[in-house]
Amino acid sequence: MTDLLGNDLNLQYELLGPEIALVITAALVLFADAFRRELKIGQSAIPAISILGLVVALLLSLLWIDENKDFARLVTIDNFTTFFRVLFIAVTVVVIIGSHEYIERRVSHLGEFYSLLLLSTVGAMLMAGARDLLTAYLAIEVMSFSLYILVSLAKSDTRSGEASLKYVLLGGVASAMLLYGLSFLYGVGGSTQYTEIAAALSDGTSTLELPLLLGLALIIAGLGFKASAVPFHMWTPDAYEGAPIPITAYLSATSKAATFALLLRWFAGPLLPAIDSWQWMISVLAVLTMVIGNLVALQQSNIKRLLAYSSIGQVGFMLMAIVTISDQTGSALLLHLSGYIITNLAVFMGVIAFYNRTGREEIVAFRGLAQTNPYLALVITAGLFSLAGMPLLAGFLTKFILFQSVVSGGYTWLVVTALLASTVSLYYYLQVIRQMYMYQPEGDASRWRLSPTGYLATGAMLVGVVWVGVYAAPFYTAADRAIAPLFT
Amino acid sequence: MTVDLAHYLAVSGIIFGIGVAIALSKRNVVAVLMGIELMLNASNLAFLAFSRFSGAFQDGTEPLAGHTFVVFVLTVAAAEAAVALAMAVLIYRRRETVDLDRISVLRW
Amino acid sequence: MGIDLVGMEDVWILPAIPFAVFILVSFFGRLIPRNGDFIAVLGMALVVLLVGLVLVDFQGAFHDEVFAPIAGANTYSFDWIDIGDGFFVIEFSTYVDAVTMVMLPVVSFVSLMVLVYSIGYMKGEARYGWYFAALSFFVAAMLLLVISGNLLQLYLAWEGVGLASYLLIGFYWERQSAAEAAKKAFITTRIGDVGLLIGIILLWRVTGTFDIQEIIHAAEEGVFGQTYLTVAMLFLFAGAAGKSAQFPFHVWLPDAMEGPTPVSALIHAATMVVAGVYLVARMLPVYDEVLIARDVVLYVGLITALMAATMGLVATDIKRVLAFSTVSQLGFMFAALGVGALTAAMFHLFTHAFFKSLLFLGSGSVIHATEQQEVGELGGLRKKMPITALTFTIGSLALAGIPVFAGFWSKDEILHDLQHYGPFAAYVILAVTAALTAIYTTRLVLLTFFGKPKNEQAYEHAHESPPIMTGPLVILAVLALVVGFITYQGVGESLGFVGGIGELVYLPHHGPHVFKLDIAFAAVATATAVVGVAIGIMYWWGDARRAIAAQSWAPELHQLLVRRYYLDELYQGVINHVVLGAAAVVAWFDKRVVNETGVDGSTQFVGFLGYRFKFLQTGRIPHYVLGMALGVAALAVVAIGTT
Repeated sequence: MTDLLGNDLNLQYELLGPEIALVITAALVLFADAFRRELKIGQSAIPAISILGLVVALLLSLLWIDENKDFARLVTIDNFTTFFRVLFIAVTVVVIIGSHEYIERRVSHLGEFYSLLLLSTVGAMLMAGARDLLTAYLAIEVMSFSLYILVSLAKSDTRSGEASLKYVLLGGVASAMLLYGLSFLYGVGGSTQYTEIAAALSDGTSTLELPLLLGLALIIAGLGFKASAVPFHMWTPDAYEGAPIPITAYLSATSKAATFALLLRWFAGPLLPAIDSWQWMISVLAVLTMVIGNLVALQQSNIKRLLAYSSIGQVGFMLMAIVTISDQTGSALLLHLSGYIITNLAVFMGVIAFYNRTGREEIVAFRGLAQTNPYLALVITAGLFSLAGMPLLAGFLTKFILFQSVVSGGYTWLVVTALLASTVSLYYYLQVIRQMYMYQPEGDASRWRLSPTGYLATGAMLVGVVWVGVYAAPFYTAADRAIAPLFT
Repeated sequence: MTVDLAHYLAVSGIIFGIGVAIALSKRNVVAVLMGIELMLNASNLAFLAFSRFSGAFQDGTEPLAGHTFVVFVLTVAAAEAAVALAMAVLIYRRRETVDLDRISVLRW
Repeated sequence: MGIDLVGMEDVWILPAIPFAVFILVSFFGRLIPRNGDFIAVLGMALVVLLVGLVLVDFQGAFHDEVFAPIAGANTYSFDWIDIGDGFFVIEFSTYVDAVTMVMLPVVSFVSLMVLVYSIGYMKGEARYGWYFAALSFFVAAMLLLVISGNLLQLYLAWEGVGLASYLLIGFYWERQSAAEAAKKAFITTRIGDVGLLIGIILLWRVTGTFDIQEIIHAAEEGVFGQTYLTVAMLFLFAGAAGKSAQFPFHVWLPDAMEGPTPVSALIHAATMVVAGVYLVARMLPVYDEVLIARDVVLYVGLITALMAATMGLVATDIKRVLAFSTVSQLGFMFAALGVGALTAAMFHLFTHAFFKSLLFLGSGSVIHATEQQEVGELGGLRKKMPITALTFTIGSLALAGIPVFAGFWSKDEILHDLQHYGPFAAYVILAVTAALTAIYTTRLVLLTFFGKPKNEQAYEHAHESPPIMTGPLVILAVLALVVGFITYQGVGESLGFVGGIGELVYLPHHGPHVFKLDIAFAAVATATAVVGVAIGIMYWWGDARRAIAAQSWAPELHQLLVRRYYLDELYQGVINHVVLGAAAVVAWFDKRVVNETGVDGSTQFVGFLGYRFKFLQTGRIPHYVLGMALGVAALAVVAIGTT
């Protein structure tokens, strides 16, 4: 088939297999939930169906390793897409396994919850694969709309609705900004195709300097919002606190990673010729983000808010890799992103297990956890230490490689700032660890155990944190192969 | 006087500015939503203008990407309004207000 | 040499043993009789034995002239992580040379003594097994540190010892002060560690390697710019100063005494705190290339030595006196390194490890017996605790620098080198510090073991410690008497070495030197020490009348010293007002400026556009939108401004 201009269109639908599988699963989940009584299935069938669908999607994504094809000039299926497909599917699986008890007890509209979770995963996957501004924009909105609703689904928690309203209104403003920026980019580049924009920009024939700069500022603002970069971060702590914890975990993992996938695609692709115009903008954003995120985190008393600000601080580190973008920093960023996601999920799975038992989320509530559940305390401690960048845990090695690649890119001052900011971070992570190890439990001091799935999710993440920290080579190889198509 | 690209862009810029101003000055959820709609429509106008005035359109090879974009944005905007209004209803049922001033349990 | 069972290429096994013990005891300690303490001790004994074998192999290689002792051997390495086609390679590599061979016996032997002693000292404590596990973890990290062939591996181990130190200082975490002290130590040293990491990255940036020897070669070939290298080495020194509690990072060490006393003996006297000295010694050839950085090492060492000694004069907690003394003695070592005297610094590190751990264990014995650690509550204990008193006195004489005791030889060496290679003022400062050392040491001994008991109840309660504790004391006391003699060529040769320590540990471009006793110089040093002891006796003998009089003679000075030059207050103030203040300002900005003030400003902006805007009627979401709008505007300004 060809399009209006006579370009050949490749309509191999199996290229979109994983996305199609997840959309079908999402529909099945909704259906199964609606007719649960008629079908005589229990509540736990819903997460089971979701996981089954995710596994199918995972297998379908693995079919395209080392391929480089596109679907109708809209979606690219290369190693980069495959990397993120696998990552997003894995995150969703972990979140479902680690939190299905939480979801059953504290989330309203079970079927919608799982179905929207799957749909937002589809959106994230398409964000990584898009090769056209329109596809990318729609993918962002698919992911975001699902998340807006997911944030509001915490049962009998008035904060949830408020968080969602803030998220949706601010998200609307941000996506309007992004869209306005995209319209300028379209005007300057003369096309919505990444490759053609890149060609147009590197021609240097464009006389539209000012629209390009305004467009870049607006695009960076819009994506900065999704990535929670300061000063576009204000929704983050509120949404993180109000959302059901699994969604907080999901926001901090998939939504963030998808944004970075998009950032990488855009800034290493269509926007790369304009690097002189945006390098400073992103540097400023990175510094502000890492400094403010880490400083405000010092003042928090709620674990979800603390993790929100800590994740803002981490975004600052990751933005450094965009500033000095190259295949080295790109793969370092992918590695760090994966390590960060594993670490963050370890902490969140721990917090969810803790919340299931106690129903509390203040930091002081963690007092004496080392006595009542030493295993859980160990998981959370390992996660927090990894976030703080302690050696032999994922956070150190991946961050070190990231910093190093930024130094090679010539931005030593950024790295020095980042190192100082990360020293501050140790202080607030230690506050949580101290609560667990250095205080007596309040009230009930009896030992308790996690559910089997709780052990599975936390255990897998703990192993991951140590594995990446001790032997990151396979992850790096994967990241390296994933980034390669962007720089050829 | 011929109306060219710059005029369209100026109008779209003004509309976008008005949208931002509404979004940050109104305290009613619905009004803020209207501001966002204005911002989206400003983008639509810019897309159409860029599409219409691109060289490709003039010589008939234009694939109308900008026009296509606008159609999708319109649907997205509708969905956005639906979700936001649903949230507003959710909050109104719980708190009996949609005053953004008073929806601030979550803060610092 | 006949024994090839374990050679230098096998040193990687040394940290593996205590690490295995750590895993075993921490996870299965509850299932093992005695919580697995004997496993830790036996494991450590095995390490000591293996270190002995490595030492034999080292001597053999030396005699066979396989390598010059200081050149060492990159004995074992494999690529742990090699990614991005050599862009980022982390090797696991071990490197053994004479400096390593000074560190290995110290770390392993003192650890063994401390573990044995702990069986008695920690008896009946809660978390007994955890204690041995954590101590084993520490030893593993410390051994890994001293055998590291590259900076990144060294950094990993460096963080590991810091973590272990945090866990052990906070061992009595029920006590608020212990928890606070642990945090203070961890964060203070971490600030230094960031410096170390920056230094490592700066060195890597030019050379593309973490390998210590390759970096040294690069520096000697002048690959670096002079200023760049100076900055890098200063950052590196910040890490060393943090770990070794040098001014201005010294504040954490006295507080670290909240941990169990054997921990102080091991970590805060003999091993972890000398890691900084070890690092600078290891990189000394590079410091020789940038004399400004080396001078900084010298001055920091001098300031710390003098300052800590004066604070030690007035401290009343027996362990804190020793802590200040440790800080001061580490200052001696850095001062020696600051004039390029590798031999003297490593020699002092070696002797200091033995007599200082002896003193700490002795103080532990006193605390164990009396449950008091304020000198104001002690006194006259020599009758009740003869072995402790005798061994403690031997350790004190070594610390004071009285001839034939170990400390005399090494301190003499440092003073000697300073006089020859350093500015005269540096020599004078260290000589004065040496006298002060003798004074506060005498004071400590007199107040603890002589005079009348000041707290009758504690005195009645006191008893000599069990043999499992006094045994290590006696062994260490013997060593504190004799280890100084390895400076002599004959002694070294009879032990199978090429000669004295000066012929073993030296910088290649300085060459070995044979020790000759400079009678006149030694006489001056001896006189200094003796005068110090005499002053100590004069002031604190009996009821310490003169000391009290002196205290009221200059109360401000006394207060200045007691309050440790107000540096702790200063730091706390800085933290409170600057760091937390900045955090508060930012948090305040988030909730106020974005909330209220910012709205006032934006009122005019929006009002300019003709929109009705009501004061103080906007909610939070509009403020967030405002923040975003201003953000875009700022970005656009940045973009237009920089293009």
